Amino acid sequence: MSTPLLSVSNLSTSFFTSRGEVKAVRGVSFELRAGEILGIVGESGSGKSITCMSLMGLLRSSGRVIDGSALFEGRDLLTLDEDELSALRGNDISMIFQDPMTSLNPTLTVGEQVIETILRHRKVTRAAARARAIELFELVRIPSAAKRLRSYPHEFSGGMRQRVMIAIALACDPKLLIADEPTTALDVTIQRQILALLKELQGRLGMAVILITHDLGVIAETADRVLVMYGGMVMEEGPVRELFARPSHPYTRGLLASIPDLRDDTHHRLTPIPGSPPDMLRPPKGCPFAPRCAHAMAQCNAALPPLYDAGPVHRARCWLHHPQAPRVAGITAELVPA
Amino acid sequence: MTAYVVQRLLLMLVTLFAIITLTFFLMHAVPGGPFTSEKMLQPEIQAALNAKYHLDDPLWLQYLNYLRGVLSLDLGPSFKYAGMSVNEIIAEGLPVTMKTGALALICVVALGVPLGIVAALNRNRWPDTLVMVIATIGVAVPSYVIATVALYVFALRLGWVPTFGLDDWRGYFLPVFALSGFWISFIARLARSSLLETLQQDYMMTAKAKGLKRGTVLFKHGLRNSLIPVVTVLGPVVANLLTGSFVIEQIFALPGIGRHFVLSITNRDYTAIMGITIFYAAVLMVMIFIVDMLYLVLDPRIKYRADAK
Repeated sequence: MSTPLLSVSNLSTSFFTSRGEVKAVRGVSFELRAGEILGIVGESGSGKSITCMSLMGLLRSSGRVIDGSALFEGRDLLTLDEDELSALRGNDISMIFQDPMTSLNPTLTVGEQVIETILRHRKVTRAAARARAIELFELVRIPSAAKRLRSYPHEFSGGMRQRVMIAIALACDPKLLIADEPTTALDVTIQRQILALLKELQGRLGMAVILITHDLGVIAETADRVLVMYGGMVMEEGPVRELFARPSHPYTRGLLASIPDLRDDTHHRLTPIPGSPPDMLRPPKGCPFAPRCAHAMAQCNAALPPLYDAGPVHRARCWLHHPQAPRVAGITAELVPA
Repeated sequence: MTAYVVQRLLLMLVTLFAIITLTFFLMHAVPGGPFTSEKMLQPEIQAALNAKYHLDDPLWLQYLNYLRGVLSLDLGPSFKYAGMSVNEIIAEGLPVTMKTGALALICVVALGVPLGIVAALNRNRWPDTLVMVIATIGVAVPSYVIATVALYVFALRLGWVPTFGLDDWRGYFLPVFALSGFWISFIARLARSSLLETLQQDYMMTAKAKGLKRGTVLFKHGLRNSLIPVVTVLGPVVANLLTGSFVIEQIFALPGIGRHFVLSITNRDYTAIMGITIFYAAVLMVMIFIVDMLYLVLDPRIKYRADAK
């Protein structure tokens, strides 16, 4: 197999607040190949956004990467200085955010916000950058592209603004696009359009995408591989099909069970996961999910489980996968046909 | 847009008319008059003076006559300074007031805004603390205290600057300092909090994520958005500085119009009260109008339309 585009290992990020150290990301490792879509799923505070912000060097001032490495094309992103990082950002690695209503500068035309990105990273004339901006607007299907360059963000709808954000992100043909909840703030029909557009552009341009979301439905439709995060850690990772077919961590199972199914007309209630996420100021010694887990054992509170293999390319951080653990239907590999 | 400007200008005239009317009748409702003093004048002299200045006319007639004068830009003769018209008082004091006021304004913009920026960018570190301590003192200590202390230290003790007057260029230092101290502090605090708020905005994160250089992020994306509240207060600040300060002009013995503002009232100098009030109101309204027009340049979301009522 070729070397991955991005290889993150043991990434740990903390925020140093007046109340103490908040361990937001604790030893996250994953690999991303060129052209792959990796979904990172988890609830608020699970560390999924902070993981990506750490890679981009965009942590707020109280946040610091305290351990780990992140090799991107052979360079460790975590050791680059601000100049080197800013040369990468928007160029090789770009990012789109959750709320398109607030992510664009209200006082500059959208055209200027695309053009300035191109001019920052490419040695081209303003006219050439403008031509490229029109091209990008056509790529993300903003109608009458040339005219809309002169518009301000407030003259666009939410979906159109997210298209502008995507155009900015694609301006310099990035090798990696990080999309942080790109559809959360949009209504459902627009969500589908934006996801379809992202997927189509990813295929056409061959870039890798990290798609951060709390919506497993979005992952199912878009991603190739999934990381499930909880309490600042990777709980489960595997190919989308495999993970949806054989969720191997109780948390993933809980997430899947809490998705409403419109085809189900038996009118039974959604199955929520009881309890609330751990306090990252004092993370539990054992498995962070143990307090909410129906299968928790004494061992779960005592020590943190390692990532066990749940299949050839499928891993889960759960003691149930220990050879001596009791078998639990639907979670432990032995009980499902290989 | 043109319709809006015309509407605004008409509205300014209506406001001015209301101010004139209100001031006129309030002023006459206050007991006493321009020729009342401890040393009682002989009744005949009093009557002659009243007749000369038409103070014996019925009030409505005086009011109409005054309005006629204002319409022809004649603010009438001063009651206290014999032989001088109110127009002349303003014309004489204005250059002095404007010069010190304009210098103070330059200090406010050139020092207040950068100090606020430095403080915001060094939030909770020593430059921030230093600027905020000085700015808090500047806002809290009245200008006459600053003026008096500065006068004592720099003029009397150290002898670096003259104690009064503007004949020497060094004479401008202390009045300008005393005039601008409060507003520099005020603007520095405002610029700081406004910039801090802007720095938290999502689009600042976008600008960084695009790889823009620190300076571009700060000045192109941050500053313009954070200056909108600063520009809002600068309108009244300009009006305030250009119309002078009674206290500062008194302390430094400057022949400006600020002092006439207060003196005219204690003197019951009817026409001077009216004239200076009208002048101040007009300057203030024009400044607010200019600020509103500046918004158009600063914030493309703002568009003005004349009300179609």
